[in-house]
Amino acid sequence: MDQFDSFIGFARLILLALVPYVLASQGTMLSGRTGVFNVAQEGIMLLGASVGFLVALYTKSLLIGIVAAAVAGGIIGLALAYFSSTLKMDQFVIGLALFFIGLGASSLAFKLVVGVTLQLPRVPTLSNLRIPLLGDIPILGEILFNQNALVYFSVLISIALYYYLYQTSWGLELRAVGENPKSADSLGVNVVLMQYATTIIGSALIGVAGAYLPMVYTGVFTQGITQGRGWLAIALTFFGGWRPQLILLGAFFFAIVEVLSLRAQIVGSAIPYQFLRTLPYITTIFVMIYAFRWTRVPAFLGLNYDREKRSLS
Amino acid sequence: MTPSESTLLEMRGVRKTFGPVIALDNVTLNVKRGEIHGLLGGNGAGKTTLMNVLFGLYKADAGEIAVDGRVAQVRSPREAIGLGIGMVHQQFLQVNSFSAAENIVLGTPLRNRPTLDLTTPKQKIRALSEKFGLSLDPDATLESQPMGVRQRVEILKALYRDAKLLILDEPTTMLTPQQVDSLFNSLRAMVKSGLSVIFITHKLREVLTLCERITVLRNGKSVITLAREEATEDTFIKAMVGEEMNIGRSLLFAKSSYETEIAQVGSKELLKVDGLSVEAASQENQVISDWSFTLREGEILGVAGVAGNGQHELAESLMGIRPCKGKVVFDGAEMTTLVTRDLLARGIAYVPENRWDDGLLPKATVAQNLILGSHRRPPYSNGLMLNLGAILKRSQELIDEFKIKTESPQSLAANLSGGNVQRMMLARAFSQNPKLMIVHNPTQGLDIPSTEFVYNKLLERKRAGMGTLLISENLDELFLMCNRVAAIYRGRIVGVLERGQFDAYRVGRMMSGLE
Amino acid sequence: MKQTFISIGNTLIPYLVAITASFLAAGLFIGMMGFDVLKAYETILLSSFRSPGAFAQTLVKFVPLLLQALAFTIPLAAGKFNIGGEGQLIVGAIGAAGVGIVFANLPIYLLLPLVIIAGVVFGALWAAFPAWLLYRFGINEILTTVLLNFVSFSLIDYIATEIWRDPAAGHPTTVPIGAGGELPLLMERTNLHAGFIIAVLIAVLVYIYTNHTSAGYELIATGANARASRAYGINVRSLFLLSLILGGGVAGLSGAIEVAGVHHRLIEGLQSNFLLLGLIIGLIAKGNHFGVPFVAFFIAVLEIGASSMQRTMSIPGEMVFIVEALILLFILLSDLVRKK
Repeated sequence: MDQFDSFIGFARLILLALVPYVLASQGTMLSGRTGVFNVAQEGIMLLGASVGFLVALYTKSLLIGIVAAAVAGGIIGLALAYFSSTLKMDQFVIGLALFFIGLGASSLAFKLVVGVTLQLPRVPTLSNLRIPLLGDIPILGEILFNQNALVYFSVLISIALYYYLYQTSWGLELRAVGENPKSADSLGVNVVLMQYATTIIGSALIGVAGAYLPMVYTGVFTQGITQGRGWLAIALTFFGGWRPQLILLGAFFFAIVEVLSLRAQIVGSAIPYQFLRTLPYITTIFVMIYAFRWTRVPAFLGLNYDREKRSLS
Repeated sequence: MTPSESTLLEMRGVRKTFGPVIALDNVTLNVKRGEIHGLLGGNGAGKTTLMNVLFGLYKADAGEIAVDGRVAQVRSPREAIGLGIGMVHQQFLQVNSFSAAENIVLGTPLRNRPTLDLTTPKQKIRALSEKFGLSLDPDATLESQPMGVRQRVEILKALYRDAKLLILDEPTTMLTPQQVDSLFNSLRAMVKSGLSVIFITHKLREVLTLCERITVLRNGKSVITLAREEATEDTFIKAMVGEEMNIGRSLLFAKSSYETEIAQVGSKELLKVDGLSVEAASQENQVISDWSFTLREGEILGVAGVAGNGQHELAESLMGIRPCKGKVVFDGAEMTTLVTRDLLARGIAYVPENRWDDGLLPKATVAQNLILGSHRRPPYSNGLMLNLGAILKRSQELIDEFKIKTESPQSLAANLSGGNVQRMMLARAFSQNPKLMIVHNPTQGLDIPSTEFVYNKLLERKRAGMGTLLISENLDELFLMCNRVAAIYRGRIVGVLERGQFDAYRVGRMMSGLE
Repeated sequence: MKQTFISIGNTLIPYLVAITASFLAAGLFIGMMGFDVLKAYETILLSSFRSPGAFAQTLVKFVPLLLQALAFTIPLAAGKFNIGGEGQLIVGAIGAAGVGIVFANLPIYLLLPLVIIAGVVFGALWAAFPAWLLYRFGINEILTTVLLNFVSFSLIDYIATEIWRDPAAGHPTTVPIGAGGELPLLMERTNLHAGFIIAVLIAVLVYIYTNHTSAGYELIATGANARASRAYGINVRSLFLLSLILGGGVAGLSGAIEVAGVHHRLIEGLQSNFLLLGLIIGLIAKGNHFGVPFVAFFIAVLEIGASSMQRTMSIPGEMVFIVEALILLFILLSDLVRKK
């Protein structure tokens, strides 16, 4: 497999594997920064994968499929925002419930639409988009500027989120909501609106992260296609300290581990492939030992703000 | 000026309920231009609720607000700010990880939103802080700042938004007497420049010093509004406490008749602390270095200090919750190495300061809350199995005695109000009948009759020869109840004053490290 | 007496409303897809009661669901979330199968207890790792327990394809355990095994532990507010550790019972979706250990109905899974209504 052996092929694969982690983790970070802790990633990604795949299959357009996955994710996000921001329900339990629903719905939709077949339907995988001029740079051009559109998108969205959160006064307000919503509220910031916006957009990103898997990796949808990437994205969010720029950096680590594990499985080694397959999960657990020590989470993460609640005063 | 022109704010017939609780009932308030208006009342009287209605944080069930003679709808803080109202909450509403300037400009329409350039806002902040004597560093992150500075940030937030009416909710609780004076001077300067101030407090002395007119609230009703010169101290006390309490026999208001009793102390040493030190766990709080003191039977020993100077660490290390060095002897036995469970069993009880985090089990029932710490001992348990009947019976007794407002012992504790959580914690501690009780701000959130009840309970313990360590940020409380008061600053005992030498300004100097 | 009656009614009404609402929502969807709604309802709800065999099948399903729910709710009482019941089940099953295969010749009175104990111990050990990480480093248990599930999938694959592989089977499967390791059947001509009795016994013990002992009180106090519990002398960190390990042991037991009672061997995929159903059961019961067995039985009935519906009506079984998730959602919503 020269993809694995040549440096260029290896580096390209890392960027390819980066995308679902970046998108799902930035989506988690975004709503977390207004205090809404999303734990439904795995369900949202599965739903995004299923819906995105099916829509792409029937419209013959990957773009429409991706948009559909974003909408499906956004709908779960809307539900999460409604239950937590408006109804003040326990975010973790609601997140689990939405995880169940996303999981069930992804598989139900596939079975209802496709039915039981021996020959799984396929969609063409997302093609590469060569950036003019930059794509012609030797080596770097091939690695960085001849990738599919979602690779560019995931890097650009990370940069945009960094700029928005830390360099604009809107970002200041957004961060304030996650740190002390009562303070933000008392200064006229619309806390509920912020939470809805970030949760819906964040979940839409997570939905796209799910759709990426059948559209780039496999071309088919299978049950449990995410293989825990939703949970890994939560770990990455902590690893990246809930900051978009560090999440992007941390995603490289997750992507490298994944590619290395794949490479070893394909090339073959003395270690049974079953154990190589566990590499991403094991390394993540050890990464967390380190991440939980220094990570500063948004102070109001996972808590619901209720303007009229008296007992907190 | 006609009377209506001189009126800045009018609130009429305001009513607010929380479920079955009527927090405000037909309340009226009238604030003039350029005055400091005192809003006086015991805890739970409805002062803060009223101001939260005015600031748009609570939606009133009925009533009217008029600013500048015009009836206004205040549905959110944004609308309140638009009307020129600013509020400094008792617990500061700040983003700890932001700088002072970021906290102040948050939510204001910046001219240059996409770049977060704070040069112009900072100039305005500096100008305001100089004008009113509220010095601070706009770039310092708030979590590293002392309470006095953080309060200035809150005041500047309002001034920055050109507030013409500033509400301060119990602003003096965390300040030394000297800092209180300086705050009062700033407020007087603001009033001179045309602002109006509503000053919320439960301390009569403060309103008498500072305010031109005073409105008294009791049980959610506005009782009277009087100019300071119009009335005597007694009138205000009566308005605050109502008829249910006999003021002539009250510990709080007729202190002198209890003086001899309070001054009495036993001879035997109950607690001896030698070289107690606590390492810093976080940067927020000061460590404790090398404390030595004794507490005798029947003594109430006070610890005075500005919040965060080691009080919490002292209580927790004596309770075995926090690791410490040094030697602690209690009732003749060394107990330095004992864990909390053993200390509780030996007769030490604890009322923590942070009732929500350290005192309450919100997701458990009131009965389960009341047995916390005694849950392995009779009558609640034989060590292995719980005796559910005994737990319910005893809980009901405690609920009645301490007047905890709850439907039943089986109700969820999360539904208790702040004052009732405090009563529950006191009931839990007193019911253990401990030889030594460590209480931290025991009367916070209690109305006047309940405070009186607690003081009487403490006096009862004293008569029975039991000891109490009273840690409090309220100097009046310490001076009222204690035999001796130790003043602390940055984790050190600065000095110990005997009853008779008590002097607020002296203690204030000690608490600020000036002596 | 009257009081108790009213309070039971008050507890049950939201459940009935939630179940009705979820079925209505699902019925609407099933109808829109062009299936016979009433027949679907009938199949879901009544399949378990059509024959003694079907009822026995329901009870067989009930066993892992109940144990998985308890594996979640025991740590939940202390405020900790064990989402790793699946991995603990698999590793427990591996332990049980390993003992059953290696000591295949032991007589039943030795082998059966050993198989069961091995399952408990392996499950507890699998949970002990995240529990230790929590105890030692304060690492949130939710992610670590979840991630270990994925590790266990590889582990069972390795065991079933490399170590004790049954060459005759197409699917990754081990050779059978010794006959002495099989749980005896309770009813003739059904597959209801003695694991049912073990599971019910465990549920009763857990109920007594959490609701009637001082030690159980400490668990509940810790779950209600760990910081306050610590301030009043409860060793909360040890309780976190203990509760997760207990949960892991119970999940491991469910794995051992699947091996000893149902498959008599290790089969890849034997964990089914028991974890998710266990979580749903625990959350629907709101962690109440009196309620957990009843909810588990109800969900077992629905699950038997779901497979029957998929077989006879070609409606995907996921439909019922969504109904179960919706019941949970409506139960959570009913709490809100009551608070108002």
